Amino acid sequence: MTRVLFFKLLRDLRLTFIAVFALLFLFELLWSRVTYVISVKLFELPDFRGMFPLIEKAIFDGPGKIVQSLMGGDQIDIRRAIDMASIGFVHPVIQTILCIWAVGRASGAIAGEIDRGTMELLLAQPVPRNRILLAHFLVDLVTIPLLCLAMWLGSFTGLNLMGLVDNADPKMHVDPARFLPALLSIGFLVYSLSGITLWVSSLSRFRYQALGLAVFGTLLMFLVNLLGQLWEPIGVFRPLTVFYYFNAQPMILDPEWYSHVSVWLRLGVLAVLGTVGYGLALWTFTRRDIPAPL
Amino acid sequence: MLLRTEQLTKDYGQFRALDRLDLEVAPGEVFGLLGPNGSGKSTALRIILGFLKPTSGRAYIADYDCWHQSVEARKQVAYLPGELRLYENMSCRQLISFLGRLRGNPNLEGMERLAETFEIDISRPIANLSSGMKRKVALLQVLVPQTPLILLDEPTNTLDPTMRDELLGQILQAKRRGQAVLFSSHVLTEVEQVCDRVGILKHGKLVHLQEMSELRQGRRVHLWLEKETNTAIRSASPNTAVRTSSMREADRATGVLPDFPGAANVTRKDNALSFDYFGALPDLLAWLARQPVVDVKIEHQGLAPIYHRHHGNGV
Repeated sequence: MTRVLFFKLLRDLRLTFIAVFALLFLFELLWSRVTYVISVKLFELPDFRGMFPLIEKAIFDGPGKIVQSLMGGDQIDIRRAIDMASIGFVHPVIQTILCIWAVGRASGAIAGEIDRGTMELLLAQPVPRNRILLAHFLVDLVTIPLLCLAMWLGSFTGLNLMGLVDNADPKMHVDPARFLPALLSIGFLVYSLSGITLWVSSLSRFRYQALGLAVFGTLLMFLVNLLGQLWEPIGVFRPLTVFYYFNAQPMILDPEWYSHVSVWLRLGVLAVLGTVGYGLALWTFTRRDIPAPL
Repeated sequence: MLLRTEQLTKDYGQFRALDRLDLEVAPGEVFGLLGPNGSGKSTALRIILGFLKPTSGRAYIADYDCWHQSVEARKQVAYLPGELRLYENMSCRQLISFLGRLRGNPNLEGMERLAETFEIDISRPIANLSSGMKRKVALLQVLVPQTPLILLDEPTNTLDPTMRDELLGQILQAKRRGQAVLFSSHVLTEVEQVCDRVGILKHGKLVHLQEMSELRQGRRVHLWLEKETNTAIRSASPNTAVRTSSMREADRATGVLPDFPGAANVTRKDNALSFDYFGALPDLLAWLARQPVVDVKIEHQGLAPIYHRHHGNGV
């Protein structure tokens, strides 16, 4: 029964999934080109190399700090190809695509089915409610790693095409394997958002209500985390956001990332948040009334 | 009993949607739930299906509690919702097969046969079907699994007369197979046609339970008497002892009455006289032959008078 539900969900999602997979792949592919142009081609120009500190100061000073924060902070050196390439894994576009996937999919999982009236059709069959959630969990378990893989494959392909993988200069050389640990953080970020949104969805009867709430919550967390890096009074709220625990870039840049407890803690928090979201969704959905569609 | 509800109650805040409903449906029985919108019909069906948790009371299907053992209970049930929504991205065949696999019984053979009867092209995408055709597809998914209990929420909505008759025929076939059917409806004639028993709901309460066999034994007789007739209705029997209390009551109200066993609920307005008759037809005809009758209409008793007694003529 779970298998039937699982394949039905995959079938429903296939077009969106393919589109998101392709978008992530293409973005990383193009980002490799951006990496090549900025870290290699621009710095080949002697004038640019000389002016870079001034340009950097002009861009990242004042309000530009927001851009710097989005890129990973002041420890990122865009003259190093690996640093530049790592931005591609935390870029706002990537985070937006992943958030849209997680929030969009999970918000419709329960509230969408109730809203459309198809939940009645489903629950008129001898289907335990927990199996419906299990099927959604399994879909996350399959799709999230595949989306992470799409990013890595895009990066791998792009870096190879740009010749950065075989580059002898240590500043220009990028080993695609360095990105693999970051996929853990990305995957758990999507999982946590998916779990929390699923809980919101299990409380609601209208898809757009669940979607609106989840989008608002996600945006708020994103902004609090971003602004908290720039303005200390908001900084205290950062640990209340999932994005605070999103730690992909340091996992790429530090070859010994696994030796830091904080990395594992942050991964753990994301995993727990997702699981708690799923748990709350299960608790709510198995106890709630299923209203008639309007 | 296949289906049993005990004091089933559902409150939405201060509003009581269903009020201590006691109901029993036996295997092979067709039970009709009647009532206007908001009377609690759909709420009752939704609690039975485990969609809603009762505020108090219990519902059982084959002795499985509809909330706590909902999955086991739903194994016994096929349901046609009132507000029909199907997976529009599937074809009819895919939908029936999907739902069948969820039951662990993709009875595709039965589907093909029924689809032919209902004249459904099951290879067509559901999104391309008219609302009537979608209803047929939904009926298909109800009839294919041959569950012990079928729940139909206003099943003839949007069906054309031919399909409506086909559906009612299918309900009777299901009954012959030993399946029980519980269906809600506004249409009294179709309920009369197929139901063994009928329950009338008003403000969530079961206000009347009617055996249809009792109703079918009775006739409603309408007479139009000659103008000059005043009190001149002749007795079938000089023995006034056979008059029932209800007749005596009506007697006071109308003044003039047919006076023989089996007549009840007499009403008279000017020269038009109506009464229910539960006796033998020859006795009635013999009595009629002696009356100064201009016109007469004899019909089987229907649900309408009973329904309107509870819900008024405007419903």
